[in-house]
Amino acid sequence: MSEEVFARKISEFPGSEVKILRKGQIAVKVPNEKGHDAAVFLKKMGFIHLASIEYVDWIKDNEFELVYNLWSYRHRLTVFLKVRIPRENPNYITFMDIWPIAQTHEREAHEMMGIVFEGNPELTPFILEDWDAPPPMRKDFDPKKYVREKYDSIPFVEEEK
Amino acid sequence: MVDENNTNEQATDINAPADNPVMVEYVQQQGDADMIKFGAAARWATKKSLWMVHFCTGCGGIEMSPLMTSRYDMERFGMHSMVTPRQSDILLITGYVNIKTLKRIIRTYDQMLDPKYVIAFGSCPVNGGPYWDSHVTINHLDKYIPVDLYIAGCMPRPQAITRAFTALMDMIQEGKADGYLRYKKNLEKYRANQEKLMRKWW
Repeated sequence: MSEEVFARKISEFPGSEVKILRKGQIAVKVPNEKGHDAAVFLKKMGFIHLASIEYVDWIKDNEFELVYNLWSYRHRLTVFLKVRIPRENPNYITFMDIWPIAQTHEREAHEMMGIVFEGNPELTPFILEDWDAPPPMRKDFDPKKYVREKYDSIPFVEEEK
Repeated sequence: MVDENNTNEQATDINAPADNPVMVEYVQQQGDADMIKFGAAARWATKKSLWMVHFCTGCGGIEMSPLMTSRYDMERFGMHSMVTPRQSDILLITGYVNIKTLKRIIRTYDQMLDPKYVIAFGSCPVNGGPYWDSHVTINHLDKYIPVDLYIAGCMPRPQAITRAFTALMDMIQEGKADGYLRYKKNLEKYRANQEKLMRKWW
Protein backbone atom coordinates (compact mmCIF):
# COMPACT_ATOMS: atom_id res chain seq x y z
CA MET A 1 0.00 0.00 0.00
CA SER A 2 1.19 3.45 -0.72
CA GLU A 3 1.85 6.30 1.72
CA GLU A 4 -1.32 8.15 0.72
CA VAL A 5 -3.50 5.19 1.65
CA PHE A 6 -1.80 4.85 4.99
CA ALA A 7 -1.95 8.57 5.68
CA ARG A 8 -5.70 8.44 5.10
CA LYS A 9 -6.08 5.43 7.38
CA ILE A 10 -4.00 6.99 10.16
CA SER A 11 -5.86 10.30 9.94
CA GLU A 12 -9.01 8.43 11.05
CA PHE A 13 -7.49 8.52 14.55
CA PRO A 14 -9.18 11.45 16.32
CA GLY A 15 -6.98 14.51 16.82
CA SER A 16 -4.14 13.31 14.63
CA GLU A 17 -2.28 15.52 12.20
CA VAL A 18 -0.72 13.44 9.41
CA LYS A 19 1.94 14.56 6.97
CA ILE A 20 3.83 12.61 4.32
CA LEU A 21 7.49 13.56 4.60
CA ARG A 22 8.86 11.62 1.66
CA LYS A 23 8.54 8.23 0.07
CA GLY A 24 8.10 5.70 2.87
CA GLN A 25 7.98 8.21 5.74
CA ILE A 26 4.89 9.50 7.49
CA ALA A 27 4.80 11.89 10.45
CA VAL A 28 1.87 11.78 12.86
CA LYS A 29 1.31 14.44 15.51
CA VAL A 30 -1.12 13.70 18.30
CA PRO A 31 -2.03 15.53 21.54
CA ASN A 32 -0.02 14.15 24.41
CA GLU A 33 -2.99 12.68 26.31
CA LYS A 34 -3.81 10.54 23.27
CA GLY A 35 -0.28 9.32 22.64
CA HIS A 36 -0.74 5.92 24.22
CA ASP A 37 -3.99 5.24 22.33
CA ALA A 38 -2.35 6.30 19.08
CA ALA A 39 0.55 3.91 19.75
CA VAL A 40 -1.85 1.02 20.28
CA PHE A 41 -3.70 2.04 17.11
CA LEU A 42 -0.48 2.05 15.08
CA LYS A 43 0.74 -1.25 16.48
CA LYS A 44 -2.54 -2.89 15.48
CA MET A 45 -1.96 -1.53 11.96
CA GLY A 46 1.30 -3.48 11.83
CA PHE A 47 3.97 -1.12 13.15
CA ILE A 48 5.42 -3.70 15.50
CA HIS A 49 9.01 -2.40 15.65
CA LEU A 50 9.97 0.56 17.84
CA ALA A 51 13.35 1.50 16.40
CA SER A 52 14.14 4.41 18.69
CA ILE A 53 12.74 7.28 20.71
CA GLU A 54 14.11 10.67 19.78
CA TYR A 55 13.79 13.67 22.02
CA VAL A 56 13.82 17.27 20.85
CA ASP A 57 14.13 20.33 23.03
CA TRP A 58 11.93 23.14 21.65
CA ILE A 59 13.15 25.71 24.13
CA LYS A 60 11.32 28.69 22.56
CA ASP A 61 7.98 26.84 22.80
CA ASN A 62 8.94 25.63 26.30
CA GLU A 63 8.21 22.07 25.25
CA PHE A 64 9.92 18.72 24.74
CA GLU A 65 8.97 16.64 21.75
CA LEU A 66 9.13 12.85 21.84
CA VAL A 67 9.41 11.16 18.46
CA TYR A 68 8.63 7.45 18.40
CA ASN A 69 10.27 5.95 15.36
CA LEU A 70 8.13 3.02 14.20
CA TRP A 71 8.70 0.54 11.40
CA SER A 72 6.45 -2.02 9.80
CA TYR A 73 8.04 -5.07 8.21
CA ARG A 74 4.82 -5.91 6.43
CA HIS A 75 4.13 -2.51 4.89
CA ARG A 76 7.79 -1.36 4.54
CA LEU A 77 6.89 2.00 6.02
CA THR A 78 8.30 4.30 8.71
CA VAL A 79 5.99 6.32 10.94
CA PHE A 80 7.15 9.07 13.28
CA LEU A 81 4.69 9.40 16.14
CA LYS A 82 5.19 12.83 17.72
CA VAL A 83 3.91 14.09 21.04
CA ARG A 84 4.79 17.26 22.88
CA ILE A 85 5.06 17.57 26.65
CA PRO A 86 5.67 20.64 28.81
CA ARG A 87 9.24 21.45 29.72
CA GLU A 88 8.63 22.01 33.44
CA ASN A 89 8.50 18.71 35.33
CA PRO A 90 8.56 16.68 32.12
CA ASN A 91 6.85 13.36 32.58
CA TYR A 92 5.03 11.03 30.28
CA ILE A 93 3.49 7.59 30.32
CA THR A 94 5.67 4.61 29.48
CA PHE A 95 5.12 2.60 26.29
CA MET A 96 6.68 -0.55 27.75
CA ASP A 97 3.34 -2.37 27.67
CA ILE A 98 3.17 -1.89 23.90
CA TRP A 99 6.83 -2.32 22.93
CA PRO A 100 9.01 -3.80 25.75
CA ILE A 101 12.16 -2.34 24.15
CA ALA A 102 10.84 1.10 25.09
CA GLN A 103 12.39 0.51 28.51
CA THR A 104 15.93 1.08 27.17
CA HIS A 105 15.02 4.04 24.98
CA GLU A 106 13.10 5.70 27.80
CA ARG A 107 16.02 5.15 30.12
CA GLU A 108 18.24 7.00 27.66
CA ALA A 109 15.73 9.83 27.28
CA HIS A 110 15.58 10.10 31.05
CA GLU A 111 19.35 10.39 31.30
CA MET A 112 19.91 12.78 28.42
CA MET A 113 16.81 15.00 28.81
CA GLY A 114 15.55 14.35 32.33
CA ILE A 115 12.13 13.15 31.18
CA VAL A 116 10.41 10.84 33.70
CA PHE A 117 8.37 7.97 32.27
CA GLU A 118 5.67 6.86 34.67
CA GLY A 119 5.51 3.09 34.91
CA ASN A 120 9.08 2.46 33.83
CA PRO A 121 10.65 0.59 36.75
CA GLU A 122 14.33 1.21 35.97
CA LEU A 123 15.29 4.78 35.08
CA THR A 124 18.81 4.41 36.46
CA PRO A 125 21.99 5.97 34.99
CA PHE A 126 22.70 4.39 31.65
CA ILE A 127 25.60 5.66 29.54
CA LEU A 128 27.02 8.59 31.47
CA GLU A 129 29.14 7.45 34.37
CA ASP A 130 29.59 9.64 37.44
CA TRP A 131 27.41 12.39 36.01
CA ASP A 132 27.01 15.37 38.32
CA ALA A 133 25.30 18.06 36.23
CA PRO A 134 21.92 18.74 34.57
CA PRO A 135 20.97 16.46 31.66
CA PRO A 136 23.45 17.26 28.89
CA MET A 137 21.18 17.24 25.84
CA ARG A 138 19.00 20.12 27.01
CA LYS A 139 19.45 23.32 25.06
CA ASP A 140 20.12 25.38 28.19
CA PHE A 141 23.06 23.16 29.17
CA ASP A 142 26.29 24.92 28.23
CA PRO A 143 28.92 22.28 27.41
CA LYS A 144 31.75 24.80 27.02
CA LYS A 145 31.16 26.22 30.48
CA TYR A 146 30.96 22.70 31.90
CA VAL A 147 34.23 21.71 30.20
CA ARG A 148 35.96 24.84 31.47
CA GLU A 149 34.83 24.21 35.02
CA LYS A 150 35.38 20.47 35.13
CA TYR A 151 38.29 19.50 32.88
CA ASP A 152 40.24 22.70 32.31
CA SER A 153 40.36 23.50 36.02
CA ILE A 154 42.43 20.38 36.70
CA PRO A 155 46.12 21.37 36.83
CA PHE A 156 48.92 19.74 34.89
CA VAL A 157 51.19 17.64 37.04
CA GLU A 158 54.20 19.85 37.51
CA GLU A 159 57.27 17.76 37.20
CA GLU A 160 60.63 19.17 38.12
CA LYS A 161 63.24 17.67 35.86
CA MET B 1 96.97 -6.17 31.17
CA VAL B 2 95.64 -3.92 28.43
CA ASP B 3 92.92 -6.39 27.49
CA GLU B 4 91.78 -6.75 31.07
CA ASN B 5 91.49 -2.99 31.45
CA ASN B 6 89.40 -2.76 28.31
CA THR B 7 86.96 -5.47 29.40
CA ASN B 8 86.60 -3.79 32.79
CA GLU B 9 85.76 -0.48 31.19
CA GLN B 10 83.20 -2.08 28.93
CA ALA B 11 81.63 -3.90 31.86
CA THR B 12 81.20 -0.69 33.83
CA ASP B 13 79.79 1.10 30.76
CA ILE B 14 77.24 -1.57 30.08
CA ASN B 15 75.65 -1.29 33.49
CA ALA B 16 75.93 2.45 33.91
CA PRO B 17 72.56 4.24 34.23
CA ALA B 18 71.59 6.76 31.61
CA ASP B 19 72.34 10.42 31.98
CA ASN B 20 68.83 11.23 33.18
CA PRO B 21 68.29 12.90 36.57
CA VAL B 22 65.02 11.00 37.20
CA MET B 23 66.73 7.67 36.62
CA VAL B 24 69.83 8.62 38.60
CA GLU B 25 67.67 9.70 41.53
CA TYR B 26 65.65 6.50 41.37
CA VAL B 27 68.79 4.35 41.31
CA GLN B 28 70.19 6.24 44.28
CA GLN B 29 67.01 5.61 46.24
CA GLN B 30 66.72 1.94 45.31
CA GLY B 31 70.38 1.06 45.74
CA ASP B 32 72.82 -0.76 43.55
CA ALA B 33 70.74 -3.90 43.19
CA ASP B 34 68.39 -2.18 40.77
CA MET B 35 71.11 -0.42 38.86
CA ILE B 36 71.37 -3.16 36.26
CA LYS B 37 67.78 -2.44 35.18
CA PHE B 38 68.86 0.94 33.88
CA GLY B 39 72.14 -0.10 32.33
CA ALA B 40 72.84 0.39 28.65
CA ALA B 41 72.67 -3.36 27.99
CA ALA B 42 69.33 -3.67 29.73
CA ARG B 43 67.97 -0.69 27.79
CA TRP B 44 69.19 -2.16 24.52
CA ALA B 45 67.45 -5.45 25.34
CA THR B 46 64.26 -3.65 26.32
CA LYS B 47 63.98 -1.66 23.14
CA LYS B 48 64.38 -4.76 20.99
CA SER B 49 61.39 -6.63 22.40
CA LEU B 50 58.46 -4.32 23.02
CA TRP B 51 55.04 -5.83 23.42
CA MET B 52 52.03 -3.63 23.19
CA VAL B 53 48.49 -3.28 24.44
CA HIS B 54 46.60 -1.24 21.88
CA PHE B 55 43.78 0.46 23.72
CA CYS B 56 41.54 1.58 20.88
CA THR B 57 39.14 3.86 22.69
CA GLY B 58 37.41 5.76 19.95
CA CYS B 59 38.72 5.95 16.42
CA GLY B 60 42.07 5.00 14.95
CA GLY B 61 42.01 1.29 15.63
CA ILE B 62 41.72 0.70 11.91
CA GLU B 63 45.19 2.16 11.38
CA MET B 64 46.68 -0.65 13.43
CA SER B 65 45.72 -3.45 11.05
CA PRO B 66 48.08 -2.55 8.17
CA LEU B 67 50.76 -1.88 10.76
CA MET B 68 50.52 -5.35 12.25
CA THR B 69 50.11 -7.26 9.04
CA SER B 70 52.56 -7.69 6.20
CA ARG B 71 52.15 -4.20 4.67
CA TYR B 72 54.07 -2.34 7.37
CA ASP B 73 55.03 -5.38 9.46
CA MET B 74 55.49 -4.25 13.03
CA GLU B 75 57.24 -7.47 13.98
CA ARG B 76 60.45 -6.48 12.23
CA PHE B 77 61.04 -4.20 15.25
CA GLY B 78 60.52 -7.11 17.61
CA MET B 79 57.10 -5.76 18.53
CA HIS B 80 53.78 -7.44 18.58
CA SER B 81 50.47 -6.97 20.28
CA MET B 82 49.72 -8.66 23.56
CA VAL B 83 46.38 -9.40 25.08
CA THR B 84 47.25 -8.93 28.73
CA PRO B 85 48.62 -5.75 30.28
CA ARG B 86 50.82 -7.69 32.69
CA GLN B 87 52.97 -8.96 29.83
CA SER B 88 53.15 -5.71 27.90
CA ASP B 89 55.56 -2.80 27.74
CA ILE B 90 53.67 -0.23 25.66
CA LEU B 91 50.20 1.15 26.22
CA LEU B 92 49.03 2.71 22.97
CA ILE B 93 45.92 4.85 23.42
CA THR B 94 44.14 5.79 20.22
CA GLY B 95 41.38 8.33 19.88
CA TYR B 96 39.38 10.37 22.33
CA VAL B 97 39.18 9.44 26.00
CA ASN B 98 36.20 9.94 28.26
CA ILE B 99 35.84 9.39 31.98
CA LYS B 100 34.48 5.89 31.58
CA THR B 101 37.42 4.89 29.39
CA LEU B 102 39.95 6.70 31.55
CA LYS B 103 39.06 4.43 34.47
CA ARG B 104 39.91 1.40 32.35
CA ILE B 105 43.08 3.04 31.05
CA ILE B 106 44.33 3.76 34.55
CA ARG B 107 43.42 0.24 35.63
CA THR B 108 45.34 -1.18 32.66
CA TYR B 109 48.31 1.11 33.24
CA ASP B 110 48.52 0.21 36.91
CA GLN B 111 48.52 -3.48 36.06
CA MET B 112 51.50 -3.20 33.73
CA LEU B 113 54.97 -3.99 35.04
CA ASP B 114 57.97 -1.70 34.86
CA PRO B 115 59.36 -0.57 32.52
CA LYS B 116 56.23 0.65 30.75
CA TYR B 117 55.69 3.32 28.14
CA VAL B 118 52.62 5.24 27.00
CA ILE B 119 52.05 6.45 23.45
CA ALA B 120 49.12 8.80 22.84
CA PHE B 121 47.88 8.43 19.29
CA GLY B 122 45.96 11.16 17.46
CA SER B 123 44.97 14.70 18.30
CA CYS B 124 42.37 13.86 20.91
CA PRO B 125 44.58 12.62 23.77
CA VAL B 126 46.82 15.66 23.23
CA ASN B 127 44.27 18.40 23.87
CA GLY B 128 40.82 17.08 22.98
CA GLY B 129 41.08 17.58 19.22
CA PRO B 130 37.71 18.23 17.61
CA TYR B 131 35.96 17.05 20.77
CA TRP B 132 37.49 19.70 23.03
CA ASP B 133 34.08 21.11 24.06
CA SER B 134 32.32 17.80 24.57
CA HIS B 135 30.85 17.22 28.00
CA VAL B 136 32.36 13.75 28.44
CA THR B 137 35.78 13.96 26.76
CA ILE B 138 38.71 14.58 29.07
CA ASN B 139 40.93 16.86 27.09
CA HIS B 140 44.48 16.32 28.29
CA LEU B 141 45.51 12.73 28.87
CA ASP B 142 48.81 13.71 30.47
CA LYS B 143 47.03 15.22 33.45
CA TYR B 144 46.10 11.71 34.54
CA ILE B 145 48.87 9.38 33.36
CA PRO B 146 52.36 10.26 32.10
CA VAL B 147 52.72 10.13 28.32
CA ASP B 148 56.11 9.35 26.82
CA LEU B 149 55.33 10.11 23.20
CA TYR B 150 52.60 11.81 21.21
CA ILE B 151 51.62 11.14 17.63
CA ALA B 152 49.75 14.20 16.40
CA GLY B 153 47.33 14.04 13.50
CA CYS B 154 43.80 13.02 12.71
CA MET B 155 44.38 10.24 11.78
CA PRO B 156 48.12 9.47 11.79
CA ARG B 157 49.06 7.04 9.05
CA PRO B 158 50.89 3.77 9.79
CA GLN B 159 54.11 5.44 8.67
CA ALA B 160 53.72 7.96 11.49
CA ILE B 161 53.18 5.16 14.00
CA THR B 162 56.25 3.37 12.70
CA ARG B 163 58.20 6.61 13.13
CA ALA B 164 56.90 6.86 16.68
CA PHE B 165 58.02 3.34 17.50
CA THR B 166 61.53 3.93 16.24
CA ALA B 167 61.62 7.24 18.12
CA LEU B 168 60.51 5.46 21.28
CA MET B 169 63.25 2.87 20.79
CA ASP B 170 65.80 5.66 20.52
CA MET B 171 64.36 7.31 23.62
CA ILE B 172 64.65 4.06 25.55
CA GLN B 173 68.26 3.60 24.43
CA GLU B 174 69.13 7.14 25.49
CA GLY B 175 67.25 6.76 28.77
CA LYS B 176 64.75 9.51 28.03
CA ALA B 177 61.60 7.40 28.25
CA ASP B 178 61.05 7.76 31.98
CA GLY B 179 57.25 8.12 32.23
CA TYR B 180 56.82 5.26 34.66
CA LEU B 181 59.43 6.72 37.00
CA ARG B 182 57.74 10.12 36.90
CA TYR B 183 54.44 8.40 37.66
CA LYS B 184 55.96 6.78 40.73
CA LYS B 185 57.55 10.03 41.84
CA ASN B 186 54.41 12.16 41.41
CA LEU B 187 51.89 9.46 42.19
CA GLU B 188 49.98 11.58 44.71
CA LYS B 189 49.49 14.40 42.22
CA TYR B 190 48.34 12.04 39.49
CA ARG B 191 45.98 10.24 41.86
CA ALA B 192 44.55 13.57 43.03
CA ASN B 193 43.84 14.56 39.43
CA GLN B 194 42.25 11.19 38.67
CA GLU B 195 40.03 11.28 41.72
CA LYS B 196 38.77 14.76 40.89
CA LEU B 197 36.92 13.24 37.93
CA MET B 198 35.73 9.99 39.44
CA ARG B 199 33.18 9.73 42.16
CA LYS B 200 33.54 5.97 42.33
CA TRP B 201 36.04 3.72 40.64
CA TRP B 202 33.85 0.82 39.61
